Amino acid sequence: MLTTALILLPVVGALVVAATPLPRATTAGLAFLVALMEVALWIVAASRFDFDDGGLQLGTSREWAESFGISYSVGFYGFSLWLTGAAVIVSAAAIGYAVWVGRDRPRAYHALMLLLTGAMVATFAAQDLLLFYVSFEAMLIPLYVLVGVWGGARRQVATLTFVVYTMAGSLLMLASVVAFGVTQGTFSLTESGTSDNVWIFLGFAIAFAIKAPLFPFHGWLPLAYREAPVEVAAVLSAVVSKTAIYGFLRIGVPKFPEPADDLSGVILVLAAAGLVYGSLLAFRAPDLRGVVAYSSIAQMGLITLGVFAFDDLGLDGAVLQSVAHGLVSASMFLLVGMVEHRCGTGQLASLGGMARGRPVLATVVLVAGMIALAVPGSATFAGEFLIMAGVYGQGWGYSAVVALGIVLAAMYTLRVISAILHVEPGVAVRDEALDLRTSELALVLPMMLVLLVLSAWPALVSESAFPANNATQAVLEAFR
Amino acid sequence: MTIAGAWICLLAPLAGALAITLAGRRISRRTAGWISTLTTFVAFAGALVAFFGLWAADPSDREQVSTAYTWLAAGDFEVELQILLDTLSSTMMLIVSGVGGLIVWYSMGYMAGDGEERRYFAYMSLFVFSMLILVQAGNFLLLLVGWGLVGLASYLLIGFWHHKPEAVAAAKKAFVMNAIGDATFALACVLLIWETGTLELLGVFDDVGSLSTTTVNLVALGLLGGAVAKSAQIPLHTWLPDAMEGPTPVSALIHAATMVTAGVYLLVRASPIFEAAPDVQHLAAILGAITLLVAGVVALVQWDIKRVIAYSTMSQIGYMFLAAGIGAYGYAIFHLMTHAFFKALLFMTAGLVIHHLDGEQDIRNMGGLKKLMPRTHIAFAVGALALMGIPIFSGFWSKDGIVAAAFASGDALGYTLYVAGLVGALLTGLYTTRLYFAVFRGEPSEFVKTHAHQGHGEGPRSMVIPVGVLTVLATIGGFVAIPGVWEPFLHWIDETAEPLVTATVAEDYGTSAVAVTLALIGFFIARRAFVAGRQIVRSADAWRVLEHKLYFDELYDALFFRPAVAISVALRRNVEEPVIERSLDEIGSGTIQVGGEVARVQTGLLRTYAIAIAFAVCVLVVVFVAVR
Repeated sequence: MLTTALILLPVVGALVVAATPLPRATTAGLAFLVALMEVALWIVAASRFDFDDGGLQLGTSREWAESFGISYSVGFYGFSLWLTGAAVIVSAAAIGYAVWVGRDRPRAYHALMLLLTGAMVATFAAQDLLLFYVSFEAMLIPLYVLVGVWGGARRQVATLTFVVYTMAGSLLMLASVVAFGVTQGTFSLTESGTSDNVWIFLGFAIAFAIKAPLFPFHGWLPLAYREAPVEVAAVLSAVVSKTAIYGFLRIGVPKFPEPADDLSGVILVLAAAGLVYGSLLAFRAPDLRGVVAYSSIAQMGLITLGVFAFDDLGLDGAVLQSVAHGLVSASMFLLVGMVEHRCGTGQLASLGGMARGRPVLATVVLVAGMIALAVPGSATFAGEFLIMAGVYGQGWGYSAVVALGIVLAAMYTLRVISAILHVEPGVAVRDEALDLRTSELALVLPMMLVLLVLSAWPALVSESAFPANNATQAVLEAFR
Repeated sequence: MTIAGAWICLLAPLAGALAITLAGRRISRRTAGWISTLTTFVAFAGALVAFFGLWAADPSDREQVSTAYTWLAAGDFEVELQILLDTLSSTMMLIVSGVGGLIVWYSMGYMAGDGEERRYFAYMSLFVFSMLILVQAGNFLLLLVGWGLVGLASYLLIGFWHHKPEAVAAAKKAFVMNAIGDATFALACVLLIWETGTLELLGVFDDVGSLSTTTVNLVALGLLGGAVAKSAQIPLHTWLPDAMEGPTPVSALIHAATMVTAGVYLLVRASPIFEAAPDVQHLAAILGAITLLVAGVVALVQWDIKRVIAYSTMSQIGYMFLAAGIGAYGYAIFHLMTHAFFKALLFMTAGLVIHHLDGEQDIRNMGGLKKLMPRTHIAFAVGALALMGIPIFSGFWSKDGIVAAAFASGDALGYTLYVAGLVGALLTGLYTTRLYFAVFRGEPSEFVKTHAHQGHGEGPRSMVIPVGVLTVLATIGGFVAIPGVWEPFLHWIDETAEPLVTATVAEDYGTSAVAVTLALIGFFIARRAFVAGRQIVRSADAWRVLEHKLYFDELYDALFFRPAVAISVALRRNVEEPVIERSLDEIGSGTIQVGGEVARVQTGLLRTYAIAIAFAVCVLVVVFVAVR
């Protein structure tokens, strides 16, 4: 019931927000309240969850179309509960940011954001393949509208590219979903067996590769991240990208052990290439969002390396890194928004010198930046190290690429930190541009605090991500 | 009690950093300074408790492990927040918190009036905390955490004056070069996990024997990469001179006394691994020897007072690497300690000079300060004598022990290192004397006459007292290891890291005689050059090469930075923009051509589209199921 409530609360909230003619401020406040209630509900769910067990819990299952083997079946494993936690926190921060900025047409805007939240939670909770597919697609519709209507100057091109890419993936995945369900005789993820059909696997894999995105399927990303409202970009890079990782962990690898193993070489190479490619492009990107966008490609490559390491270290590391990167990239995007809001531009050449007289902004940017570059001792470092150690089993070269990634991440992150904070103020930085206000700090601080807690104790996530702290057994056997 | 002292030592500076950060503007800048200073001294008190507890304990009980909780876990693999207290770590704790406390105290005077003192002291406390993690860590991953966090603190403090472009560039350079070391260190940890299943120091040391030669060599190389980067040894040394952009107490604490010696600590700490990989251990010694010579020569042509001392630091750490590389672990740590005393002292007296001259650092604008700053002059002279290895001063006992150990190791490598160590003694005499005369002797320059603050002494009490304490330590700090007479320090370290080589008393004193003679020759050559008003390096070509620091910066710029930029730009121009971003345009324009043909399919009826999509999906499904 709790899981269903987690899915329905934002959806019902969206309907209420859309249908009730309230004043602007009240509408926005109501949406934010719903998002906060969702976080509270997640905390209740987490408190009822037995992390030592880590198996499927808080589940509900109702027959839906029995003759087709379709059911409404939801529930959480340890790792999906953690991903959901990151999702609801980031959603609340994003909606809070939209409230603070005061987006136009708040009823439509906030209704869409809440729908998006519900769809993300449903994706992480679904234990039925069709339900997963519907939820996965349901994320896209609000995203199309959010980017297409509230985006920047080139929002239409961005949306079109995004639609074409994701629709291509969706079509392939739909075919795979149907084919898998038909051959298995059920769509239930808990009841279906495994398949050794490479083509069905590829349908899923390409859909996930586009959604993550993995190099070279990332053509939609730079434009979308640059043109989307900044809080939508935050949700995209923080959570929506992680649904692809979830897909690999819950469906791609467990349901297709042989094809996944056969093709792991290709995927690992693409992931490693993406890690280096994204890092290098981030290093020279001329604007704030470009840096964060390309670094996301690099990070998704890293996480994918962890998934396809096929061992405890890599899988646990992938989950830990998904949660940590989600929180840190959302924080970075919101900070980017706050800087853009003050300076009217995100071009690095026009920024600089903002540390002087703005201690709160400087501190938050520094802390977020250091976690983003995975300074040893941070949660991201813990995740990155686990992945680096795990993927060694697939070849020492992958570990070496992760090591290279550590250095490149330092290069591009320090560049962007300095470009915002250091040296003399840039042309776009006026003296009137104030330090972060309490309300802005309140949006970023919770995510920072969660990250600091995870840095002090990353085992909290890594240990409880999979049943009985045995990721390999879970992903390669129990999830079948 | 003993172990509680160690935990207090670790956590007190963290509490200080958090308190200053959270209090923000509610506390005065001076209060922030006191919080930082006092918490560091609390850490020192904790270190004393731990040290004497260990001292009183039975020798078999001098290896204590204490675990707080499991920090990271995945499957069977676990890393705990775990400290290892033994003779080595307790000694390091004393050095770090003791010298650290003095320097933080000194900072209160040096940084007074900066306006951002709170930030400064929060960073300093963060640094001390990180350094204590590093030396107390009970496993390699926690050691790496401390390793990375000191790098972070170093970055923050080098770039403390972040409006200065040079400071920001230097901070980034230091961080990135150290990240290279972090990466190789992390790779070594990965290998250890796969080959031994654990990262606990003691567990790994027990398993070293079962590792293959290749593995142990690679692990040792990875660790050496980290050590070389952190300790600014060739080839990862170029960040240290630039790091002098930071405030001078930072140079004293981080870039002389503690952090940069972390590489030496690692070599000694992981000595079982390095002993199993003798080639790599010798490589450490060779890199140390090369660095000590190169840095000694480059120091001869520097004009910035802090840069001269910075090159001297590199050179002295070269001695420590040499010692650790030949297995003279006790002397490596001994020199680490005496160096912490006299180098911190030199930096702090340099800081007094800079403070007195309104921030001037160019020694061409100095001179004649002996009369203006008599007490500073004495303190600096003591530091310089210790650095040159003149008898009774602390550096004499430690440096000569290293050179003698090189002789005692006996083979061709040992003799080569011995010669390098002796030449280093000559170079040390040369550059130290050059610096001393340029700053303190002769007639006051025009600059000194116009800029020196008249009549307000040589510095506030918070600066003078720590300098006084360190002057005493730099003088007598070497008496804990007098060859053949009284060597408790060496025996203490030996309990953790048994030395591979020990010089006889005759070798010790013989080496000392030669080394001191060479240092004195250096002194007289440099003094004559000063009196004659010329430089020691007289060839213009040699001067130019040295001034460019043997072109390492230019080389790395051409080898790494520019290619990285070029590749990045090339990827954007040739892959990202034309291929990936335009991919849809191509598909789009293709579609337009085909579009004419297919236009009649576009009925505009949703039903037709739905049927078409459903049909396409069906075809795909059939294909997926049928084709394997």
